[in-house]
Amino acid sequence: MNQNDQGLDFSTVIASTVHDMKNSLSALIQAHHQWLERLPEELRSGSEPGVVEHELSHLNGMLVQLLGLYKLGVNQLPVCPDYHELDDFLEAQLAAHEEVIRHRDIVATCRLDTMAPLAFFDRELVASVVSNMLTNAIRHADKALLLSIEESGNELVICINDDGPGYPQRLIEQQLDYVPGIDQSSGSTGLGLYFAARIAALHEQGGQRGRIEIANGGELGGGLFRLYLP
Amino acid sequence: MLQYGQKSFLIVDDFTDFRTATRSMLRELGATQVDTADSGEQALRMCAQKRYDFILQDFHLGDGKKNGQQVLEDLILDKQISHECVFVMVTAESSQSIVLCALEHEPDAYITKPFNRMGLAQRLEKLVQRKTLLKPILQALDRGRPAEVLAACTDICKQDPRFAPLCLRYRADALRDLGRFDELEKYLGAILASRPQPWVYAAMGKLLHKRGRNVQAQGIYEQALKAFPIMPNLYDGMADVLIAQGDSQRAQNILEEAVRLSPLSVKRQATLGKLAYENEDFDSAAKAFRHAVNQGQSSRYKDPESNLGLAQALMSRSSGGLDARTRVEINNALGEVAKDYPEDQGLQVRARMMKASSLVQAGDAESAGKLTEQAMQRLGKMNQFFSVDSALTVAAQMKAMGQGAAAKSVLKACVESYGDDPKVMERVGQLTEDPDVLNAVADAVDLNRQGVRAYQAGHLELALSMFRRALALQAKNISIALNTAQALLRVAGEKLTPEVIQECRDCLGSVAGIPASDSRYDRYRKLHIRVFGA
Repeated sequence: MNQNDQGLDFSTVIASTVHDMKNSLSALIQAHHQWLERLPEELRSGSEPGVVEHELSHLNGMLVQLLGLYKLGVNQLPVCPDYHELDDFLEAQLAAHEEVIRHRDIVATCRLDTMAPLAFFDRELVASVVSNMLTNAIRHADKALLLSIEESGNELVICINDDGPGYPQRLIEQQLDYVPGIDQSSGSTGLGLYFAARIAALHEQGGQRGRIEIANGGELGGGLFRLYLP
Repeated sequence: MLQYGQKSFLIVDDFTDFRTATRSMLRELGATQVDTADSGEQALRMCAQKRYDFILQDFHLGDGKKNGQQVLEDLILDKQISHECVFVMVTAESSQSIVLCALEHEPDAYITKPFNRMGLAQRLEKLVQRKTLLKPILQALDRGRPAEVLAACTDICKQDPRFAPLCLRYRADALRDLGRFDELEKYLGAILASRPQPWVYAAMGKLLHKRGRNVQAQGIYEQALKAFPIMPNLYDGMADVLIAQGDSQRAQNILEEAVRLSPLSVKRQATLGKLAYENEDFDSAAKAFRHAVNQGQSSRYKDPESNLGLAQALMSRSSGGLDARTRVEINNALGEVAKDYPEDQGLQVRARMMKASSLVQAGDAESAGKLTEQAMQRLGKMNQFFSVDSALTVAAQMKAMGQGAAAKSVLKACVESYGDDPKVMERVGQLTEDPDVLNAVADAVDLNRQGVRAYQAGHLELALSMFRRALALQAKNISIALNTAQALLRVAGEKLTPEVIQECRDCLGSVAGIPASDSRYDRYRKLHIRVFGA
């Protein structure tokens, strides 16, 4: 920002590059959609468009997360909470992933297990977490996933459950003191979980902070991600 | 699925590809009337011609152009958009919306690029549902009836208490518009105690500031900035209460932080310029005014005061002569004022005198003399009063140009209009010792003071006679004229005879030159509406 600075602050470089990358990606996604629509039906239904869809949305999610982490780092990621309609929030998350879900032949359901139509949280931040976790669930799901919201005490719980093989045992055991690093065997960085935990903790009410929990099981028997909001 | 066939849509984006893609998404959803605009300016023209049911507005429309938020503000302030219209702000990244989220006018929703057809359809459908639920409130807002807004909020909360949070802000705004400040304060306090949001802090801070409780207001803003450190408009509120408490140095620091967060606010930059100038930080003043002038080009808040401020700051910054670049900048800034406000004689005089002073500083006394001559001719044609600041600046410049008589007449006019304020007299006293000027209003001011005392004690007839005598001595004094008119109306009560109305009209007529920037301008307008009907 400060042009008098002699040195190059690498994280600022990354942040502004990511910004440009996001714009390029948006254009790419749009062009891809328009192109698909002009293709004859038989070419549209192959598996490649699904892969392209999935990877594009994965890339977008990662860029959003990278920008978010940068802002957390420079302390510029504050929460701006408001009241949001929960059914609207859930439907919007699934709608954003509609093409990928369709291409991968997954049955995605959303369900509201609470009487409260509204909840108080930062829509954009929580949406970026849910979106990453959905991308993750879609990748690992066999044929079903469930996005739901329930109440537990005075907390709101957003759950993402799939019927895939579930989280590695090591991740589940270490979730309380998890430090992101690269697992050479799986290639997973766990950065997504770290980001999710930070976003959850930004939500605070009466001294109580938000948190995340991962487990295996749930109704669908696979990975189960839970985001608790006070 | 909703019936979009009967609805009208407007897509505003500077990228052709995006407009085409969004248009085809809307067509697939069944929309038939879809218009597009490639700039905010074009969107505003289109909205003046046609009422849209849905507007999809891109936030960033290119440097130097109106951004989406400015378009929304213009639409609302010019009443070109119904509250029932669904206005969606399209942003490139989600954090853009955060900077905007405590503002006075918010869009109905944000949607982040990229989005797909399902995503768009889902958002629009939900927004239509919400607008349907809130319809009675929105219609009352369109009619400009805050009391009906309150009643509609109560109805909606009774029907389904679970939706009460959606009414919070409508209710607060309505209480404010109705002037029910005690109730509003309690209401906002309760929200802050449970689920604080940026807009609640801003509303509470503004309310306390308005009620003169600046120390408390400062406390609220301190809490707010701790909870929401990147909302620029909370800094604006904080600066206002610091200015009210006379701490212009801290106010400047606070606004500098706000400008770092969000440099794109014409009003904020102009306020910062003024503060920095007062604090004799001329470099910062020039920088802020320069921003205000540049961004003002595409904004409804364009203000010639920023151009004049920029020129003055640039001159004050250089102790000796002016370099070529500075001269060009001053020329451009002042040239714009002369060109854009040809009918405003006051501005024409001020721009010319400012230019003349800069020419003197640059060593060109001859041209400066010519400009001063022009300014003198314009001075005679003025029907507006100078504000105190302008009068003092112009008088000082004229005096420096050897126009003592004209300087004296400007100062005398200033004393006549504003001389009841001891602070003004003190500043005039720094420029002249001429008893003709300094004592011009002494007797009238004394009578006015006695009148105010009588008025406050309830001796209305006595007060009126004092004000009348004061006004006879000094017809152009704003306070005395307004006091006389107000006392006349109060004494007359319900029996407004044509004679009373005529006398009131004469009072107001003699101070019709009151500048809109004067703190008493609102009071003048209200009296004006009562006795002139408009």
